[in-house]
Amino acid sequence: MRNFYRLLPLFFFFLALLTSGCKDKLPVKDDLSNAHYVFLTQDSSRVVFPQNVKGKVVVLGLIFTHCPDICPLITNNMERIQKEAKKEGINDISFVSISFDPLRDRPSVLKEYADVREIDTSNWVFLTGRQSEIDSLKKQLHYVSIAGDTTYSESGEPSYFFVHTDRITLMDKEGRTRQEYKGSSLNVDEVMKDIKTLSD
Amino acid sequence: MFILIVLMMIMPFQQKAQIEVKNAWMRPGAKDMNSALYFEVINRSNKADTLYDVKSDLAQKVEMHETYRQGDMMGMRPVKMVAVGANSSFKFEPGGHHIMFINLKKNLKKGSPGGEVTLYFRHAGQIKIKPEVKK
Repeated sequence: MRNFYRLLPLFFFFLALLTSGCKDKLPVKDDLSNAHYVFLTQDSSRVVFPQNVKGKVVVLGLIFTHCPDICPLITNNMERIQKEAKKEGINDISFVSISFDPLRDRPSVLKEYADVREIDTSNWVFLTGRQSEIDSLKKQLHYVSIAGDTTYSESGEPSYFFVHTDRITLMDKEGRTRQEYKGSSLNVDEVMKDIKTLSD
Repeated sequence: MFILIVLMMIMPFQQKAQIEVKNAWMRPGAKDMNSALYFEVINRSNKADTLYDVKSDLAQKVEMHETYRQGDMMGMRPVKMVAVGANSSFKFEPGGHHIMFINLKKNLKKGSPGGEVTLYFRHAGQIKIKPEVKK
């Protein structure tokens, strides 16, 4: 029995070592815990990001809705993660898509984008806002999007596309970014493992 | 002689098309927004063919594009044509070559009929397809 008590500190030492190992696996990249970005949701509600999702693990993607190939891949991958999280009973999770093309992506456009893709918005919000707010967030996330030349259709509709960072970001419950993945081609199992590390 | 004539009459109908387009599908998209079309081209002939144009009434503009990666950035650029080598195939797929539909004229929802698209090949001529709309 005496030996047991002697070994107890050693046991806690190794336990602490193991726990810190898990945290080190997902070190804090950018701290947005005190950030206050004012955005509008797809339903035109005003929210302050990331305060609106505090207490949840966040899967974050930046997109523009006129993107026909890359952003739909990012959105599809977020949907795959959402389905897997639901299957595994993970409830402390939120999905956030933020447009970096607010000129075209008004709340109603974001709503159409979600509706036509039949996205489950029970724990997924689409956000847009002032260009200055979006630019500040992009800077904080080291995210780049560069608009290309504008062309016009026969009816005079402008059309332009972006070269942009291909990324899905995982944030912890305090609003700190902890991991980044290639948005258009990620391994859902790897993301789920990281989500479980940050989830309860 | 009679059998030979009959065989000559039947044979053209039994030959498989030299260019086959299969697994055509489009992404959902709302009216006035964009979508992309993907498919596989199989060239069974002994000479290369070229897809040089795509037309459809589904959108105001239809263009051939390719997606490219530069570091952790991705972008799209137009391509004028796509060559499909003799006895080979070429895939238009997400994250690669695709047909871009700019300013859709109607909502394309999952499961809804996409509508007709005409592909123009240098040798095989026009091939009409009706892609499925899916995610």
